[in-house]
Amino acid sequence: MFEEFMMKKNLLNTLFNKTRKNPESKDKSNAAEAELKKQAISTDYEQNLATFKTLYSVPDNMDVKVREFTIRSTNQRAFIIFISSISDARVIQEDITEKLIESNIPNKGIPDLCTGPFFTTETVIEKILESINGGNTALFVDGDEQCYLFDTPNIQGRAIGKPDIEVIVKGPKESFNEKVITNISLIRKKSKNENLIVESMMIAKRSKNNVYLVYQKDLVNEELLQNVKDKLHSLDVESIVDLSILEQYIEERPRSLYPTLLYSERPDRAASFIEEGHIILLMENSPSCLVLPTTFWALIHSPEDHYLRTPYGNFIRLLRLLAIFIAMFTSSFYIAVTNFHVGMLPPDLLMAIAGTRERVPFPALFEVLMMEIAFELIREAGLRVPSPIGPTIGIVGALILGQAAVQANIISPIVIIVIALSGLSSFIISDTSMNFAIRITRFLFIFSAGLMGIYGVSALFVVGLFYLLSLKSFGTPYFAPMTPNFVSSKDIIIRHIPIKERFRPGYLKPKDMGKKGKG
Amino acid sequence: MKQQLGIREYTSIAILMIGAKTTENTPSSLYSEAQSAAWMIPIISGGFFLIPLFLLLKTFSVFQGKDLFALIQRLLGKYIGFFVLLSLFIISSLAFSYDTRMYTDIIHTFYFRTTPLVVLYAIFLFVCVYGAKKGIQHIGSIAYITIWYIILSFAFALILSTKDNSIQAIYPLWGSGIQDIIKASISGTTLFADFIILTVIISNMSSTKDFTKGTWIALILNAIHISAAVFIFTCLFDRSLEGVGYPFHTAIRYFSFGNFLSNVETLFLPIWLMAGFIRFAALLYICTKIFGHIFHIKEVEYLTPTLATIYLLIGIIPETPLDVALEFKAKIRLIAGPAFLAISLLLWAVALLKGEFKHAKNKKGM
Repeated sequence: MFEEFMMKKNLLNTLFNKTRKNPESKDKSNAAEAELKKQAISTDYEQNLATFKTLYSVPDNMDVKVREFTIRSTNQRAFIIFISSISDARVIQEDITEKLIESNIPNKGIPDLCTGPFFTTETVIEKILESINGGNTALFVDGDEQCYLFDTPNIQGRAIGKPDIEVIVKGPKESFNEKVITNISLIRKKSKNENLIVESMMIAKRSKNNVYLVYQKDLVNEELLQNVKDKLHSLDVESIVDLSILEQYIEERPRSLYPTLLYSERPDRAASFIEEGHIILLMENSPSCLVLPTTFWALIHSPEDHYLRTPYGNFIRLLRLLAIFIAMFTSSFYIAVTNFHVGMLPPDLLMAIAGTRERVPFPALFEVLMMEIAFELIREAGLRVPSPIGPTIGIVGALILGQAAVQANIISPIVIIVIALSGLSSFIISDTSMNFAIRITRFLFIFSAGLMGIYGVSALFVVGLFYLLSLKSFGTPYFAPMTPNFVSSKDIIIRHIPIKERFRPGYLKPKDMGKKGKG
Repeated sequence: MKQQLGIREYTSIAILMIGAKTTENTPSSLYSEAQSAAWMIPIISGGFFLIPLFLLLKTFSVFQGKDLFALIQRLLGKYIGFFVLLSLFIISSLAFSYDTRMYTDIIHTFYFRTTPLVVLYAIFLFVCVYGAKKGIQHIGSIAYITIWYIILSFAFALILSTKDNSIQAIYPLWGSGIQDIIKASISGTTLFADFIILTVIISNMSSTKDFTKGTWIALILNAIHISAAVFIFTCLFDRSLEGVGYPFHTAIRYFSFGNFLSNVETLFLPIWLMAGFIRFAALLYICTKIFGHIFHIKEVEYLTPTLATIYLLIGIIPETPLDVALEFKAKIRLIAGPAFLAISLLLWAVALLKGEFKHAKNKKGM
């Protein structure tokens, strides 16, 4: 029986394979073009002009500009090609065309005529295209076997703004934006050190997405660095447009509920992680950075913990820890107590709860689930709603789902308190992924409490803790340096005063453990 | 990179595995053996246990980084070693079955009267299997994360139960007689028998020295802790301690936080459960490891669910909680300690006769 089934399955598979188009075949139409791209440019002016015009589909491609002229000093034909929307026309005019056309000093080479601060030469067509696509200007001179590439990018983007997710009161308020050059400069501003390396690496073949590794050469562990590079090299994808998508490619367990990489939008945070020996990933178009490796503690910490004075910083840390527990357990605790462990409530409170629940026709589990889902809906709607009608959501949420639901005897008032408390607490965890993880875990706990009361909740908690302990981020255990134990500054649940934070985290195996006495 | 079990993690496991015994019926069975002198037994047993444990650890110190399997193989040979390991396996398996059954009984009697026992038992074992499959490093880590909260809440429970204590209950000081104390102390060594099977995980640790250190810390702490718990329970329950099945749970039902919160047992339940899950996950891991070694099974962790199912079947044989406490578990209690002591003495004696200690000394001298 089974074999027969397998045979049929194989047959079907072959049939499907025949009808399915080979994904590779699409590329074959481009084969001639791909072959062309690998070649070097010719010395013939007309041929080069024709090649690049076809490659860029000029004049169909409206923002690709070709400008032909004669170089006055040598009397050679030349043309420049650039994409006007991403390059600086003024720089091109002042530093390239003006100089070449007007200057009449005889027998000078291109490097001496153009005043642009930076240029390279290139012969392979593919490389030239890459450079032009990045906003540079290519200059082709008749009879010259190389092409001159001038640095003229002027890519439009947002200015440096305030962080939207990791909001703090005391401390720097810059955040990354979509221009990677700006992001790198923001990091360099905080760590002025020649050992700070920014390494670029291409990860996607078609759209040529670059990822930038930022680290301190004299701190980072070589093995970790190699590990990260290998992981990035092993990616075989056409396009990765954003860091948050790269995150899903490189994390160890993409299906896991809990995040293993820190996604931060704060350059000060990135810089402090680099100083500890972490590696930071940046990408064009991503207003954020990825920190590798990441531990559980990094995900629940906030940069403000360190900007505030030690007692205050620790106060908000303990508050946050409490918030995690409240967000996770209030709803499930309510269900467990009302359904299974009625005896533990003081009689007066029990009477009060029973009194409010008297006219509610639903079981407690259903009631809580309904309200939790309603809360999640309001939250999601509040995020997506266009801002002019934003206040409506508040009114609808508060009035209809709170007041009216209670008056209609659908929800008991105490459930509103429970949900509001757990919902409010869930906002305290600023990391988006961790926030989601805790909100989803809350539902799991609600179900386990509905099933088995406190026993179910404890069982799930232990299983969850085992699961979390087995998570790893680039070889670093999730709960390091608490357990397994590593030398560190003990910045775990509470932090010490800065003067006592003398060690870099041991799980990174940095080249220099001590934080003192090094520039 | 293979992670090693650190000393903190190991010590936490050892404290949880042995210390958790005060929360089941151990205090009452100690009381039934020595009456009001029951609180001395853990300390005296600990003293008794000190000698064989010291000798065993000394033997281990000759074979640096080797675990119990390697030691038995080396000293006792293939055949005798097989039987020794088999008896270790059977005793610890039975202990696992009846201890988990007793935990389930407690949950059943105190908190979930209407839920079928098997369901509670299955959930309990599921968690243990999940933990055991994750490996001893993770069990150690979870033990270390939770141990402070467990110790604190336990100490808090003990302090709260002193409220209605009468210190006179510990008189007569020698209970039913010194003879009884000595007798009870010999079978009382079972309290610490887990230390012997914990030697199975030496190979997961960074050094034998860490293991030795952790063992001493855990032994001293546990002896004091069990003794203190029995002392306080004796003062609280007096002569009725003998009849109270599970003194810890009766005690947390008894006291209250002031007038407002009168029934606080549900607050202690999660923490007690956590300790239980971790304790039995570690024990299950060790049992599986012994099983794998006896029958030469590689990747034995895939057998953990199967073994746990068998343990569940053994565990539900006794019909009532009373059978578990008085018949099945009592027998294990009687055998396990002396048997494990005998094994450790045997290992030391063989090592001595074979001249392993001299070899080691010579090696060092060279």
